[in-house]
Amino acid sequence: MLSPRRVSATTLFGLVTLVSISVVASLSLFAPPDGHERATLMQFFGRMHLLAVHLPIALLVLVPLLELAARSKRFSYVAPASVFVLGVATVGSIVAAALGWVLARSGGYSGRLVTQHMWAAVVAAFLTWLCWTLRVYAETTYGKRAYAVALLATVATVSVAGYRGGQVSQGENHLTEYMPAPMADLLGVSAGVEAPPNSPYGGPGTLYGARIQPIFAQHCVTCHGRSKHKGNLRLDSFEAALHGGKHGVVIKGGDPKSSELLRRITLTPSDGDFMPAERGPLPESQIKLIDQWISTGASGTMPSDVGSSGSTATVSEVTFPDADPAAVARQRVEIAAAVAQFQQRFPNVLDYQSRDSADLVLNAAWMQSKFGDNDLSALSALTDHIVSADLSNTSITDKSAVAITAMKRLRILRLMHTHITDTTLQSFGSLEELEILSLFDTQITSRALPGLARLPKLQHVYVGETKVSAGDRVPEGVAHKLVF
Amino acid sequence: MNGFDLSNPLHSERLFASLQAQTRRHFLRSLRGGLGTIFLGAMAGPLLGQAADESNAYTQPLDLTRDSKHPLSALPPQFAARVKRVIYMHMAGAPSQLELFEYKPQLQRFDGEDCPASLLAGKRFAFITGVPKLMGPQYPFHQVGESGHWISDRLPHLEKHLDDLCFIKSMRTDQFNHAPAQLLVQTGNPRLGYPSLGSWVVYGLGTENQNLPGFIVLISGGNTPDGGKQLWGSGFLPSVYQGVQCRSHGEPVLYLDSPPDVSVSKRRNMLDAIDELNQQNYSTFGNPETVTRIAQYEMSFRMQMDATDAMDIHKEPEAVRTKYGSKIGESSFANNCLVGRRLAERGVRFIQLYHWGWDSHGSNAGDSLNIGFVKRCLEVDQPIAALLSDLKERGMLEDTLIVWGGEFGRTSMRENRSGQVTKFTGRDHNPGAFTIWLAGGGVKPGFTHGETDDLGYEVAKDPVEIRDLHATILYLLGFDHRKLNYPFQGLDQKLTSVKPSHVVAEILV
Repeated sequence: MLSPRRVSATTLFGLVTLVSISVVASLSLFAPPDGHERATLMQFFGRMHLLAVHLPIALLVLVPLLELAARSKRFSYVAPASVFVLGVATVGSIVAAALGWVLARSGGYSGRLVTQHMWAAVVAAFLTWLCWTLRVYAETTYGKRAYAVALLATVATVSVAGYRGGQVSQGENHLTEYMPAPMADLLGVSAGVEAPPNSPYGGPGTLYGARIQPIFAQHCVTCHGRSKHKGNLRLDSFEAALHGGKHGVVIKGGDPKSSELLRRITLTPSDGDFMPAERGPLPESQIKLIDQWISTGASGTMPSDVGSSGSTATVSEVTFPDADPAAVARQRVEIAAAVAQFQQRFPNVLDYQSRDSADLVLNAAWMQSKFGDNDLSALSALTDHIVSADLSNTSITDKSAVAITAMKRLRILRLMHTHITDTTLQSFGSLEELEILSLFDTQITSRALPGLARLPKLQHVYVGETKVSAGDRVPEGVAHKLVF
Repeated sequence: MNGFDLSNPLHSERLFASLQAQTRRHFLRSLRGGLGTIFLGAMAGPLLGQAADESNAYTQPLDLTRDSKHPLSALPPQFAARVKRVIYMHMAGAPSQLELFEYKPQLQRFDGEDCPASLLAGKRFAFITGVPKLMGPQYPFHQVGESGHWISDRLPHLEKHLDDLCFIKSMRTDQFNHAPAQLLVQTGNPRLGYPSLGSWVVYGLGTENQNLPGFIVLISGGNTPDGGKQLWGSGFLPSVYQGVQCRSHGEPVLYLDSPPDVSVSKRRNMLDAIDELNQQNYSTFGNPETVTRIAQYEMSFRMQMDATDAMDIHKEPEAVRTKYGSKIGESSFANNCLVGRRLAERGVRFIQLYHWGWDSHGSNAGDSLNIGFVKRCLEVDQPIAALLSDLKERGMLEDTLIVWGGEFGRTSMRENRSGQVTKFTGRDHNPGAFTIWLAGGGVKPGFTHGETDDLGYEVAKDPVEIRDLHATILYLLGFDHRKLNYPFQGLDQKLTSVKPSHVVAEILV
């Protein structure tokens, strides 16, 4: 019997590692980092990348040293070690690359730097594998030469990957930022942060350019800049700062309370959302300056010498009111039963003004003659809460005057096509909140108008097709409010 | 189980039928509890590219559930709003803003000159070929009123109300043909299958007068608009929220009245029996279309009384009918405006008027700027002015929102279909810029938002997308457009769709 051909452990190792590298490469190709944050579990594992990456780097730097040392007589005994070291380095680089992918994919990374770092690392992992393969199987001189070339290429690629990695975590200019000036000049690099390109906003003469941009440059642009922009937010130019990131705008002109940027820099440093992340909080004076800048409209053109208490910001955004359902329920609790009862009897006539209010709106117009004085009197428990009442076309008469005037908080009152007369209007003096009154097609005359003259908030009185005519003498206070 | 007696063939048949109503989706949904799916759900989703966060996300959508017997019952808006009803006048075909509201003296200077290549580069035109010639405004413009708005001489009646109108001159769209553009304007999406603006509004607010549909559509001009009846359809919303197209003379809806020997009580009994059967069906299967069916039967019964009265313009005095220019027995925009006002008075939530025939290409007399356009302006000018004045004198302009507009604009160039120059002048479609106006509650009267360039071809300042207009309309009605949504196809769909939209705050009072 022939024994089954065994695959040697070495070959198996080589195949398994190659397959793993291809998996990591595919993940990098098809699911690259795109600036979105994902599951915290993923982020937890991703952070291990920083732990895991240093070992293969160290080992790969060690291998050339081992090879060189092996040529000498004194250290020739280290020659066999390089296979083992390369093997560990291969496994280590695969693990590091995989964890790196997990980190990039889940941590909200995006941009050129991260992508280059990722691919350099994948290539480096592959080259490490190649080095191991060549070292194990290369017998000829040609093979050994190929091994030397591959080793050099691996070290070079790892250096590139490492440099990019440093830029990702420390900022694009992490090596030049604190470089001594003479050295920077010698090498021809500019130390510090680059200035933004030509733009009508944020120039040196503006408040933003002179005071706010330097704050961002000092504390924020490392992670929210041109090549690394966590959360897809960039703060390295005016346009970028106002554009916001993947959660939307972070600066709302004129509304510092809803500006996420301001919120985050005013949190306690232990808070998860605190900014700047992994650094100390901004000085109080800088926070205050940003607050002031936002409240005056977050302008990119306001000159830097304008006092903060001068111009009013034009609000170019609406804020949607945010209601607390519990608070609304509390406000409604005392009238809820009465409202429900009335709604049972007359559906679609009485309702709350909005979901976040306990004020009531009455609209019986569509019921026409089926709604009358008796029905209005059923509202006696709720009159204090009614802010708008439309009784047009109904069969109410002057008998409802009392019910109507009991609605002290009424702002809008429509009585078109009803049978009310001047008598009803005479009692309107107590409707202090009344803003709009429609009396179209009723029998009222100009004798009723003096009763309205003293209503402080009255804006319009619609008196078309009534007995009021344009030529009538009417009191000053109401003349300009009449609409015919 | 569940009261089913399996030995009874009818019961078992019913049981199997109800089991068939359980779909694969129900089954998969019930798997959510398993431990494996918990892990997979946490890891696989993110691994496969699903982000844990979303822009345009909201916290809690509004609860718009209603009693299934009254799907159109009125609900309060999300926050206090001035506007309670909308009258939307859509000029199908796209009216030429350059002959109505956009005064472009520079275009006049270049009249007859070849269009510069930079304006043609990268654009797709419906009919323009080669190098067309620029064409100045075909009618003289003048300034009017306190607001100093420019207007052509085509709308003499509307001029008197110019100080009440709020113009948006920087509207923009990305559709250059009628049907998709109309669908975009009316449903927020250029493809079929989405609910219209009116449907969303009655879904969110219901209607007060249950004897009339909450969303009524009236058509004039001779043709249905290119986008078809889906322009007022309910899309994936339950079809009880669709627009009801009524005829503006005669019976508002055909066959609304009972046959002669069926009395009201007989009809009522019949409806009660049908109602009960449908209710049973609904409690078993829960199909929202059943609710629609019940509601429509009920609605048609109630409409017998109220709709004919609402649509009957005989009841208006002669003077009013003359003011609108409406004639009894005709099907015209003027009649529709008058009926629209009557419907507004009777508590209808969303009234839509379509007027067809504004597609002034200049290929024949009917759709030319020098002939057909003149007729169209005559048809709409007086009725719109009369409607505005009627609503104003009743004080209803305070809580009504009027919107007027088309689906895109017209080009600054003269259309040269197949290279010919005919005696009919016309312009091709221009999605780059067009004008709409709003009037009524919550919008600044006598105001203009946005600007186009000197030739009126592209937006120069403050572009407003259609979804921004929708967000603004919903805001005026008291809704955050992101919270008014309906789950469909795994997404909480909303009128403003998935792209970010903003409310045009500049036009708000």
